Amino acid sequence: MSDAPALVELRGISKSYGGVHALKDVSFAIRKASVHALVGENGAGKSTIVKTLTGVIHADEGQIVIDGEAASIPDPPAAYRLGILAMYQEPTVFQDLTVAENVFAGRHPRTRAGTVDWSTIRRRAKQLLGELGADFGPDRPVRGLGVADRQLLEIAKALSSEARLLIMDEPTAALSPPEVERLFDIVRGLKERGVSIVFISHRLEEVEAISDTVTILRDGTHVATRPTAGLPRSEMVQLMVGRSLDQLFPKEEAEIGDVVLRAEGLGRRGVFADVSFEIRRGEIVGLAGFVGAGRTEVARALFGIDRLDAGKVSIDGRGFRPRSPRKALRRGLAYLPEDRLTQGLIQPLSISTNTSLAVLPELTPLGFLRPRAERALARRFMEQLRIRAFGPSQVVRSLSGGNQQKVVLSKWLAAEPRILILDEPTHGVDVGTKADVHRTISHLAAQGLSILLISSELPEILGMSDRVLVMREGRLVAEIGRADATQERVVAAAAGIAEAA
Amino acid sequence: MTAGMLTGRMRVSTDTIFRLRELGIFAALMFCLLFFGVKANNFLTVTNWQDIGTDVAIVAAVAVGETMVVLTRNIDLSVGSIIGLTAYISSNTLQHHHHASLVVIALLAMGVGLLCGLGNGILVALGRIPAIIATLATLAIYRGILFEITNGQNVLASNLPQNFLNLSSRNFAGIPSLAWMAIVVAAFGAALLRWVPWARDFYAIGSNPDAARFTGIPVARRLVAAFMLSGLLAGLGGFMFAARFAGVDATSANGYEFLIVTAVVIGGVNVFGGSGTVLGAMLGAVLVATINDGFTLMRFSQFWQEFFQGAAIVVAVTVDAIMFRKLQDVLRRRRRPELANVGGRR
Amino acid sequence: MRLVGRLLLRWEALLVVLIFAAGVWSTTLSPFFLHRANLLDLTTPYAYLGIMAFGLTFVVVAGEIDISVASTMTVSAVSFAQLWHAGVNVWLASLVGLLIAAGLGLVNGVLIAILNLPSLAVTLGTLAAYRGLAYVILGGNARSGFPTSFTNIGGGYIHNELPYALLVLIGTAIVLGVVLHSTRFGRYLYTIGANREASRFSGVPDTRVRVSIFVLSGLTAGVAGIVYLGYFGSVQADAASGSELITVVTAVVLGGVDIFGGAGTMVGVFLALILVAELRNGMQLANVGGAAQDIVVGGLLLGAILAGNVVRAAQERGLPWWRARRPQKEVEKTESHAQISVNPGSETTQGGFTR
Repeated sequence: MSDAPALVELRGISKSYGGVHALKDVSFAIRKASVHALVGENGAGKSTIVKTLTGVIHADEGQIVIDGEAASIPDPPAAYRLGILAMYQEPTVFQDLTVAENVFAGRHPRTRAGTVDWSTIRRRAKQLLGELGADFGPDRPVRGLGVADRQLLEIAKALSSEARLLIMDEPTAALSPPEVERLFDIVRGLKERGVSIVFISHRLEEVEAISDTVTILRDGTHVATRPTAGLPRSEMVQLMVGRSLDQLFPKEEAEIGDVVLRAEGLGRRGVFADVSFEIRRGEIVGLAGFVGAGRTEVARALFGIDRLDAGKVSIDGRGFRPRSPRKALRRGLAYLPEDRLTQGLIQPLSISTNTSLAVLPELTPLGFLRPRAERALARRFMEQLRIRAFGPSQVVRSLSGGNQQKVVLSKWLAAEPRILILDEPTHGVDVGTKADVHRTISHLAAQGLSILLISSELPEILGMSDRVLVMREGRLVAEIGRADATQERVVAAAAGIAEAA
Repeated sequence: MTAGMLTGRMRVSTDTIFRLRELGIFAALMFCLLFFGVKANNFLTVTNWQDIGTDVAIVAAVAVGETMVVLTRNIDLSVGSIIGLTAYISSNTLQHHHHASLVVIALLAMGVGLLCGLGNGILVALGRIPAIIATLATLAIYRGILFEITNGQNVLASNLPQNFLNLSSRNFAGIPSLAWMAIVVAAFGAALLRWVPWARDFYAIGSNPDAARFTGIPVARRLVAAFMLSGLLAGLGGFMFAARFAGVDATSANGYEFLIVTAVVIGGVNVFGGSGTVLGAMLGAVLVATINDGFTLMRFSQFWQEFFQGAAIVVAVTVDAIMFRKLQDVLRRRRRPELANVGGRR
Repeated sequence: MRLVGRLLLRWEALLVVLIFAAGVWSTTLSPFFLHRANLLDLTTPYAYLGIMAFGLTFVVVAGEIDISVASTMTVSAVSFAQLWHAGVNVWLASLVGLLIAAGLGLVNGVLIAILNLPSLAVTLGTLAAYRGLAYVILGGNARSGFPTSFTNIGGGYIHNELPYALLVLIGTAIVLGVVLHSTRFGRYLYTIGANREASRFSGVPDTRVRVSIFVLSGLTAGVAGIVYLGYFGSVQADAASGSELITVVTAVVLGGVDIFGGAGTMVGVFLALILVAELRNGMQLANVGGAAQDIVVGGLLLGAILAGNVVRAAQERGLPWWRARRPQKEVEKTESHAQISVNPGSETTQGGFTR
């Protein structure tokens, strides 16, 4: 209802990380007792907004206005006190406590004597659970509850603490259809109680079904805030995606050879299933899809970090069992994790140490370190990738974000892999560095490397890939050749809707 | 197989695992009683059990305090030194003030223990020193302080007032008075953990320290409280120790911390924090004492006892960790139920 | 010099300064302090502790803890003593002792690295279990009277002045130092200690390495046992059951090895050992009792860690030190929730705080 008063208003919120804008001048209002969807591609800025609202980070500019008054949210407990609560895909609960205790953790209702009022706790918890249609009781231990049930628990928790704004970040990602329905009933019930809900989801059909208003973000800026009723999904997609494509860099022509890696029927219990694809020499295969689609999980399983429950992999025609990263490296497979700075780098150590880490066995045939060789190796890549630092002995922590990314890339390139899996290689990287990275990737393919490019940036995927694979909810749903790939088509496949014209 | 059926089946298994721990100790205890009752002379006599009762009482009382700390995912290794220190302070004061009220002395011991615990708490909560290192250091420091104040002397039983010495030999309704003290302490401890709101927070903190902070629980303050409780009860344990052993010197209660930690760990208080009960710790203390006593009566080498204690800690930790891991595995399968049946390949 | 470079350099320099200061203090207490014989003999009573500290350094750098080292040493020494007492050749017996020590370390390694149990709890258990084992092996007996060729290692002197123990100490420091700083294996320790996940992603065989560090720690405890036997000339099952453990840990932490892993040098630990030896020696000269000495060492340990926390906070640009966090744990949940972990808050911890 567009004339209902605003509960929370964002005015001119901007936030950047080391020169990269996560949010730029975002303004919109969330009405009381409404379901407000927040929609956008990965990296559009949704999670940054959530973090700002919950006090995890502070905006560089702008204001948050609650109930008409400017509010300051210095930390999560403050947000909690203001009635703002966020629920993530993996609800954080106290596994060892009972359901009822989880609901009231830290805020136990007391008897007149000041002791814990267990009967009230149990009664109120039971009541809340009943209202939410839970099929478990307040006395059972939380450990062992499924995700859907833990979500209910978090909602019960929110209700008991009289939250006014509940942010749900991809709540339906791990739910089955009946559980989704149940969640929607609860959401409608919450709305009736006067609670506002921010609903973040990639499933546009759900957005259509449950929300009153939709805010669309793109590249950190606010595109539109409109009532859901007048906004068909195809238009949503266009607003999410529409941007000029002149950021693309022409891809170097590469000769595409034989199949280097073949994956058949890959599956990991509860995460992804039936994933089959091929990668050829010199090819760049893009892997697109929304958060939770399972792309990173496939990569991790291929690289031997997580276990593969089903399927076969072969490299150069020979079978390959991904048991550990070490084995994968030896077969020429390398994986650049998305969380580069923490999973890809060892911050307190130097550039040369980080660069040589994956190839240390080759670099140290007698077991003894050869610092000069390490430094030479580091210098080679510093030049090639144009890493700006005082020297190879500089500690990685003191480098800029973009340069850190480059160091990670050097580490993997040093291993001279034949198949390189890149997981969001330019996520959080500034435009200048992006160009360098793209150029390098293209060049590598031209030299005969095979690349599996996981990315949420459509221009990147479309510009770099020879073929685009699209995953959705743990399955491979589309394979689109370079000629036929358009942004709309990819997003449509990822969202599981019929294509826009 | 519908998702509902899966949930149902799993619910049963996690619930039973929960109860299994305490039942397990109890079963082990019963087994020991049977085993030693048959194999060892005089095991099932009243006198034997009165002896055990007094010794267990000290360990049990202190174990209640240690439980508080372990619940928060920490550990207090300095309890042995605190016991020694407060035991000496108790007996020494009594030595010079024969008519002092025993209650006052006990309170004095607890007060000193409380201060020691405060020190531990500040180091861990504010100093952010890992508990194992901090309490290892205070173990040495408090023991050192004890050495300094004893000055090489020890308190002789002959110098102590009779009423104090009688504490350890009196029985009420067949149960030694010190055992009654331990029972009272355990009851208080259990009540505290169940009814007092800030004590309830110990479980939350141990279960998920980050979530606890997010929920607004003042973690640092609670940790200090937990360590203070541990110190307080160690102080009481020192008082009881002095009453039991009369001759107290600077090496008293050396190594006691292991008895206590073993009791707590065997008793099902998870080293990962977040779960465990005072009852469990008590059962653990009784079990440890029973096995020790049984071995002694069977003329088994005393020397196997320490080995057993250490091995028991390792076994208990392993069992708990494996259970933890199994449960996590089960949870993973729940993430996307429609993909739950992937893979014939192991 | 390497790695965290400037920071550690400052720490070792500080240690050198402290060593000089302590030396000055000791000289004021007794002019004999500066005699060559005295200086050379300074570390002899603590050589066995130093050797254990060197082995423990490997474990701590890799981000773990092993408090069973003292008990391991005792088992090793006691086994040797029993074997020799039973007539076995002294060198063979000591070899067996070393193997036993390594085996005990292997037990720790398997439990911690392969079964993934927390090193705090495991080594707490093995500390007690191994202590008990020592009693089982030796009972209440004491063994002594070992051949001089053997006891010379820990207690003998060249020209009545230069203790063999010092040579063994320096030798161990050099060998282990080389392994720690100049080998691939040593490099892996630093990377695993600083960021285990990133190391695994980069192909570091972290399980194998982590098992090895405990074996190594056990083995060095065995060597320490030999020195102990040489110096004291006898052994009982309660050997090293007092403040020895804390002295070892203090030497490591005071030496600049980050208790959370990923940083530290062998030189630092060596210097710290000298400092501790000096302080104990000085306190003895000042007639300070053993107990008070323990208090000082305990205080040093705490102070060293607190100082480490302060330094880390300074690294993070002006945060108050109780807010300091380990760098890689400052991850904010990224947009694509790449966390597969089911329990975000329940990482196992090292005896206390979620790091």
